[in-house]
Amino acid sequence: MATGTFAESGADLELVGITKRFPGFTAIENLDLFIPAGSFFALLGPSGCGKTTTLRLVAGLEEPTEGKILIGGKDVTNMKSYQRPVNTVFQSYALFPHMTVLENVAFGLHRRGIKDAVAKAHEALILVELDHVANRKPQQLSGGQQQRVALARAVVNRPALLLLDEPLGALDLKLRRQMQLELKAIQTEVGLTFLHVTHDQEEAMTMADTVAVMNKGRIEQMGAPQELYELPRTAFVASFLGQSNLFTGQVVASTSDTISLDIAGNHIVVPKARAARHTGLVTVGVRPEKLTLHTETQTHDAGQNVLTGGVVKDVSFSGVSTQYIVSFPDVGDIVVFAQNMVFGPVVHEGAIVSVSWNIERGFGIEDHPEQAGKFVPDDNTASIAVAQRKALSAELEGA
Amino acid sequence: MAFAAFANTAQAVDAAPRKSSKIALVLLAPGLAYLALFFLTPLVALILTSLQAPALYGDMGEYVYAFRWENYVAVVNEYGETFLRSFGYALIATMAALLISYPIAYFIGVRARKWPAIQAIALILVIAPFFISFLLRTLAWKQIFSDDSWTMETLKALSILGPDAHFTGTPFAVIFGLTYNFIPFMTLPIYTTLERLDTRYLEASGDLYARPSTTFFKVTLPLSMPGIVSGTLLTFIPASGDYINASGDFLGGPSTQMVGNAIQSNFLVILQYPAAAALSIMLMAVILVIVAIYVKRSGTEDLI
Amino acid sequence: MTERPMPKDPRVQALIKHAMQSKVTRRTLLATAGAGAVVAGLAACAPGGSSAISPAKDTSASEKTLRWANWPLYIDVDDAGAYPTLVAFQEQSGITVDYQEAISSNEDFYAVVKDQLELGQDIGYDLMTLTDYFAARMVRRGVVQPIDMAAMPNVKANLSPALANITYDPGRQYSIPWQSGLTGLGWNNADFPGGMTSIDELWDPLLKGKITLLNSWTDTIGLIMQSQGVNIDESWGQDQFDAALEVVKKQVADRQVRAFTGNNYSEEFASGNITAAMVWSGDLFIMNTEAQSDKYGFAVPEKGGYLWSDNFMIPMGAPHKANAEELINYYYDPAVAAQVAAYVNFITPVVGAQEEMMKFDPALASNPLIFPDAATLARSHAFRQLTPEEDSAYSIAFEKAKVA
Repeated sequence: MATGTFAESGADLELVGITKRFPGFTAIENLDLFIPAGSFFALLGPSGCGKTTTLRLVAGLEEPTEGKILIGGKDVTNMKSYQRPVNTVFQSYALFPHMTVLENVAFGLHRRGIKDAVAKAHEALILVELDHVANRKPQQLSGGQQQRVALARAVVNRPALLLLDEPLGALDLKLRRQMQLELKAIQTEVGLTFLHVTHDQEEAMTMADTVAVMNKGRIEQMGAPQELYELPRTAFVASFLGQSNLFTGQVVASTSDTISLDIAGNHIVVPKARAARHTGLVTVGVRPEKLTLHTETQTHDAGQNVLTGGVVKDVSFSGVSTQYIVSFPDVGDIVVFAQNMVFGPVVHEGAIVSVSWNIERGFGIEDHPEQAGKFVPDDNTASIAVAQRKALSAELEGA
Repeated sequence: MAFAAFANTAQAVDAAPRKSSKIALVLLAPGLAYLALFFLTPLVALILTSLQAPALYGDMGEYVYAFRWENYVAVVNEYGETFLRSFGYALIATMAALLISYPIAYFIGVRARKWPAIQAIALILVIAPFFISFLLRTLAWKQIFSDDSWTMETLKALSILGPDAHFTGTPFAVIFGLTYNFIPFMTLPIYTTLERLDTRYLEASGDLYARPSTTFFKVTLPLSMPGIVSGTLLTFIPASGDYINASGDFLGGPSTQMVGNAIQSNFLVILQYPAAAALSIMLMAVILVIVAIYVKRSGTEDLI
Repeated sequence: MTERPMPKDPRVQALIKHAMQSKVTRRTLLATAGAGAVVAGLAACAPGGSSAISPAKDTSASEKTLRWANWPLYIDVDDAGAYPTLVAFQEQSGITVDYQEAISSNEDFYAVVKDQLELGQDIGYDLMTLTDYFAARMVRRGVVQPIDMAAMPNVKANLSPALANITYDPGRQYSIPWQSGLTGLGWNNADFPGGMTSIDELWDPLLKGKITLLNSWTDTIGLIMQSQGVNIDESWGQDQFDAALEVVKKQVADRQVRAFTGNNYSEEFASGNITAAMVWSGDLFIMNTEAQSDKYGFAVPEKGGYLWSDNFMIPMGAPHKANAEELINYYYDPAVAAQVAAYVNFITPVVGAQEEMMKFDPALASNPLIFPDAATLARSHAFRQLTPEEDSAYSIAFEKAKVA
């Protein structure tokens, strides 16, 4: 770290074969990651997936069991946190309660012996529009204001790499949306490399250039937000990043461009380019908003997959759209999002409907939802309850 | 920038509206009555006693109520040096106790967090001396440092002390005793604040380029100020009024008289109740002033 | 002040040793309690200038009880912890005695009972045992009842002539000695083999920081005044007192004096902190018994010792005067007095006790620390009667001289 000067621009971050073991469990298993300078990178995953540990390793707050960390090509694995050109916006903000807002923001500058620390701290506060509370103590500020101070305190140092540890988690929805846009704007403005850890998939997709979905200490899939959303490669990504309808079946036919699956007697076609596997048992999926709901039997284009004879089980209205759960015999439940183009829902519970979607919208994944199922309890209390109820009823039947 | 959009969230934290209800007064009454009975009454009696004048043709210890302010002048003239000595000893003992206690408290409250068993054992070790009478412990030190003890023999053999040196009866012994006896009062409050110290502040400090030593002085130490302030007060106040350690029966001698000893001697031996009372009031007043200045300057009014 | 002797039984000795280890603790604890009483005392502080108070109505005839405040370990005790002479008294008199070791120092005891005592109210004791200088104050202030010598034939017959006419209470109308003792010089024979015959030897530069003087001014000043040729039971005044006080001031300023003590000089001796000290005769006996050798030497200075007593007195508000007199009379039976003396090792004021002790412990009966010879007694004196002004001025002057 160059004392007394600012980083000229963001730096690359490279993790090579990082493993982190804590007594009793492994948090990160052989992780390789490269984040190019100047990018806004989001590490997305459920709690306990290892994303916060990854961030703490980069910040120097934990030491890796194995592997190397390089920032701007320089090995920082053995550097203490205070020696690394990295700043963190903590989930708890960790603003020093005994210092004023201004002192908090100037803290890092003073430590590095940077000239005009106070003036620069004021500038940073002006950037987050909090200069008028510079002399207050952090606990006299609202949550949103504290978050902005924490951001100013980190950004003012112009670190080569800015780490954000779920910094928006404590904010209410409206404020969170606003802050997401602001963070993105600041990142663009100052040109630093941002590593943002979050469990909020919307937040990750809104803000980041690149999103890495992390699970069980490994990165499941990495890419631009649209790519991840439109073409998830695993069942975990498909269900963690938005919702998906997944079908598993044997490939019964295949053309040069497509494969065709048999799902309980229905034929589902998926382009080969969008499928990870082309033979044998394959799981394919489609996002709920890609589906169209039909109340009358009608002829369909060749480019459409169609499922007929579904019964509407549940209708929930959410303003912009309505979510329908349609039950198909032998296929299972399918979720449909329909834009509310007219007044209110178009069908009601008990209606017989069919659904269709453009085959170009489907995707095929590498694994199967049975495998993904084991991940679900990680972040979904409802599914834990279901699993427990199933286990209980199985036990009762066995008795 | 767009932060103006939610400027409405920037309101200051308002104090909760105060409601003075009759119920609150009723609930306060027992406490107030207690204070009046057991604090104010003796205090008023003490002040009245401090102003008494000797009874005309009276015997030793016979006084009548008067407004003899000269009692205070006399006490200041006679015991000015004793006051200085008391506060000097108490100050040194407090500093020494702080220097010894802080690392102990830091170890128990921060370093040993991962091992609750070690934390518990260390805490017990700090508190354990309380299980034995204060007087016995002080006497034990008198034994340990008596002229014929191996401790003193060793110190003399190592030429750390001169051949005729002795420990008991010296100012050093009294300060040692004060320090020793009040260390738990220093350690426990500091431990309590350090135990609650959010280590995320320390991580944040390191993240903001502060070396561990800088983190200690800029973050850990200021955040433990409430404990340091209560610890120093809990040590300094009783230490300045202490009369056991400085007594000739314990670690003191003819040259180590503290205010507590002067009060004891005036009250019990020569039956000069007004002087004893005036000394007590003076002690109280000086301590109050010192404490007020200290708390003000340490900037922890809102923390204690 | 003063204390006890060593019974011969080794088990008892062990017990007593154990008890004595906690002695100072108990004493100093009581001192702390006394300081606590400071607040209570001050809060209730009645204006001085006592209006005349009169003896409480004596209900001894109907209430066969007696409450006696005495010093710790200042009466005979048997292996079971009972007081044999007291048990015998209760059996023969039918009076139930509530014996309390309530006095750890004259000053502390007075601080606790002062307010009731001065107002002539019941202080909770019918009988208290206080040292001369305090007894003098009590008599002077009129807070104790006159004692009826006619009701105590043993006292009349056996009270030592040397003590019969103390100046503060001529004719012993208010106070009767319980035990007496001599203040003299004590030294560690190993460190000071030559022994001492004069106070001036305490000021030897070789003993710098290795001596203690006594806390009460009567003991310390009394011995020094006599060393300066003043007869303390005859006329003397401010000049003589000041001359003696100068010696104390000088020795304190020169750091000759390590501390002023009560009987805890025994620990100072034991731990090697001091080589010589002003001491009380009975304590030296105990210290030698504990050491099981003549480790310590004791002498009454050639120019005169200080003879003191602890005295029975009946507080003005005590309702059991006749019972108290019966008890005092009982303890003036030479056989009973010998029993007590054999245990407490101070000087008994009862004539004939030595002969009685000869019957069961001839060795002890010939110990000069317990029965000093006539020559020693002849050169030992008590203080003359002091006016309140003198008492006050000298107490204060001495208290201030103790501090460097």
